[in-house]
Amino acid sequence: MILSDVVEFLEKVPPFQFLKKGTLQMIASKVSMEYYPKGTEILVQSGPPSEYLYIVQKGGVKIFVRSGTDEIIIDYRNEGDTFGFVSLYSGDKSRTNVVAADDTICYLIDKETFLKLHDAYPAFAEYFLRSYLGKYVDTTFRELYDKGFLYRSGNTLPFTTPVGDIATQRLITASPELSIQSAARLMAERKISSLVVVDEERKPLGIVTDRDLREKVVAAGVSVEGPLRDIMTTSLVTIEVGEFCFEALLKMIRYSIHHLLVMDKDTLKGIVTNHDLMMLQGLSPITIAREIESRQNIECLIPISSEISSMVGLLLKEGTKASNISRIITELNERLLQRIIEIDLSEHGPPPVPFCWIVFGSEGRKEQTFKTDQDNALIYADPETPEMEKEAAEYFHEFAMRVNNALVKCGFPKCPANYMASNPKWSQPLRVWKRNFTEWITSSTPESILLSTIFFDFRPVYGDLDLGEILRRHLNQKLEQERFFLARMAATVVDNRPPLGFFRAFVVEKSGEHKDQLNLKISALALIVDIVRLFSLERGVSETSTLERIKALRGQHGLTDEFGLELEQSFEFIMLLRVLRQFEQIELGSEPDNFINPNELNTLEKQTLKEIFQLISRIQDLINQRYRLGTVS
Amino acid sequence: MGFRDWSRGKMSDISDSYRQKSSNFGAMEAAVFGSEDQSLPIDKVRYVVIDSELTGLDAKKDSIVSLGAIRMVGTRILLGETFDRLVSPETKLTGASVVIHGITPDDVAEKPSIEEVLPEFLSFCGDDIMVGYMPIVDLTFLNRETKRLYGVSIKNPIVDVFALDKWRRQRIGEDSSGHPSLYDIAKSLDVPVKGAHNAMADAFITAQVLQRLLPVLIDLGIKSVGELLAVRNPGKGVDKFRFSFKFGNF
Repeated sequence: MILSDVVEFLEKVPPFQFLKKGTLQMIASKVSMEYYPKGTEILVQSGPPSEYLYIVQKGGVKIFVRSGTDEIIIDYRNEGDTFGFVSLYSGDKSRTNVVAADDTICYLIDKETFLKLHDAYPAFAEYFLRSYLGKYVDTTFRELYDKGFLYRSGNTLPFTTPVGDIATQRLITASPELSIQSAARLMAERKISSLVVVDEERKPLGIVTDRDLREKVVAAGVSVEGPLRDIMTTSLVTIEVGEFCFEALLKMIRYSIHHLLVMDKDTLKGIVTNHDLMMLQGLSPITIAREIESRQNIECLIPISSEISSMVGLLLKEGTKASNISRIITELNERLLQRIIEIDLSEHGPPPVPFCWIVFGSEGRKEQTFKTDQDNALIYADPETPEMEKEAAEYFHEFAMRVNNALVKCGFPKCPANYMASNPKWSQPLRVWKRNFTEWITSSTPESILLSTIFFDFRPVYGDLDLGEILRRHLNQKLEQERFFLARMAATVVDNRPPLGFFRAFVVEKSGEHKDQLNLKISALALIVDIVRLFSLERGVSETSTLERIKALRGQHGLTDEFGLELEQSFEFIMLLRVLRQFEQIELGSEPDNFINPNELNTLEKQTLKEIFQLISRIQDLINQRYRLGTVS
Repeated sequence: MGFRDWSRGKMSDISDSYRQKSSNFGAMEAAVFGSEDQSLPIDKVRYVVIDSELTGLDAKKDSIVSLGAIRMVGTRILLGETFDRLVSPETKLTGASVVIHGITPDDVAEKPSIEEVLPEFLSFCGDDIMVGYMPIVDLTFLNRETKRLYGVSIKNPIVDVFALDKWRRQRIGEDSSGHPSLYDIAKSLDVPVKGAHNAMADAFITAQVLQRLLPVLIDLGIKSVGELLAVRNPGKGVDKFRFSFKFGNF
């Protein structure tokens, strides 16, 4: 009973969830449970290393470092999160303080058990290295990390890139007799944070870093006339050119340093800093993004767009989460679109009135995988006179034609249903859009529900984004007034049942090209998207991506609170199945589609998919009940 | 919560009579847990938290149907170190007790006798401090068997979470009257009370109660094992606590 509770808990905690039940049972039998009243110091900075891997079972902890009198909060860890890994793994003193932010219960896994798991399951070990890599204690790192570059998922590159590839080759060195002041000037001029001190034969003697200048010179009141020899750190930590970057990172963690000398046997090859490692995380997507920015005409953009899909293979190979892959693709496609529009505007002159380019469908939800059909439209500010209106309509029609065609050249096929900005119907002034939305909501016909599911996922991406915001507010306002619409939408959501028959058998295509197959997009992904869209419209949430919607709904939507996590994981799982399948197809040279044969899945995948379908069914039943009762809670 | 907790509430009234019958407890604990051990900090020592299910409460007629125990080191509960056995009772399972535990005669018919289980149980407990909710009741039944089989009583030091909690409430000025059940105490300390009502589950709840109480007790000045063991009699706990300070070894 006690152990099965632990197993059940671990099954929800990454990376334990990836282990087999038998292994989890073994772990559970080794687990101990500790209680920390609020305010208890669990780990102390510079104190003894952690002896356990801690998993928060209830409550939460605050992780922070003290620097002088300042307290810098690194992170909060809550239920299902772990801490204590870095010093457990390195055996080094704890680098952070961990204090119970609340009355907290933790499951503790002892070092021996942890190391056994670590050795037996490489994926398990890698998860910790990766996730702590992302949380690596350093303020500069945090800053960049927090700026929310999409490239976080590049986390995997450190596992495949040798240090030599990213080390700074043009090494700035100094003689030990150079004065401290001259050295500091040199560092300031070259904008570098460290200086390697070498002898006549270029053999490294020591290193001087920003920190040495701060701690050993300024703080200690040492004269800046003195030689570098007096303040350099002589215990040099080095790494071989061929080692992988995450080894470098581990060394930095282990020795609490930010610089490593990169050696090729006895020769100094360069230096690698934690900043370099950080940049590495975003290396390839950033490069592509920069290339997009630098191109001056449409023709030059075409080759880049094909780089985007080849990057997916790389990311997949490195085990990046499907949702992160989509975010990267979406972001890059968006930059491509922005660049196309910029180039066009510079060639054809500015628009008569402000406009906003919007995307919807999977692009609106930031859920693109490989090249998908275009789904876009255009909102422009209401022109003051009919003449101006005519002029604007003409301008934007031609503009949209050019942009749509440029997108086709870059590999985004036209929308078969013509949901594109070049279609005059979908290039309209704001008041027409408002009127359309109002009409769809009030009429509640099957057509208007269909249009709503397509257009209400819209996301403004270029131009005067306020126009999009105004339209979103208008939409939410109308929804508040017309709750009947939501009931109609709920009815269509509930109508589309997951393809699971009696005796839990998958319902597959009976004949045709895709006989015995199942459409992941229509029969699985869309169901989750529809459910979450309904919930978002109920609450007037303005996010459009399914995962962001779930996040935004937390705490204000009962069903999401109850099933949000499961929905998120289900969504990730299906996205991954789909993207893997599509990548496979592309590698084989065929067109990617959304079909899989469930019989070709392994037992775990089948089981998971069935459970997801059951989850969807259950939520649909609950929606059904709620709306039949006539209440929108 | 069922009959048992209700009955234990009642039993605190009659537990004095049990206590008198086994009045040699104190002396024996002192003999085992030497003065050196008495000074150990309460958040570092080993505890074994126990619970038993009985056919009824008559020490003459009734007997043990299951034994549960879990180990703690300080406030850390070792989830893998548990003892959970059904015992074939020497006496008949009465209709009333079947209702409470859900253990039917069929369940225990094939189970080992107390003669077989007891040595395993005692070796699991070792020399650790025994903890229970009103453990006097469990001990009365356990000792009846150990005396019958080995001619001695269990010598481990005993800690009663009921007494600890009552003492705590007295010290912080809360209402300490009444006889809260194990589940009442658990709930008041935010320990989840769920699942089956059996010896193992209750021992685990008791362990979590002790886990919550220890830090509070430390704050209230109870630091050593000796001081912890002195918190005994719910009625006269405070006096006894002071008394034990006066004489060092009580």
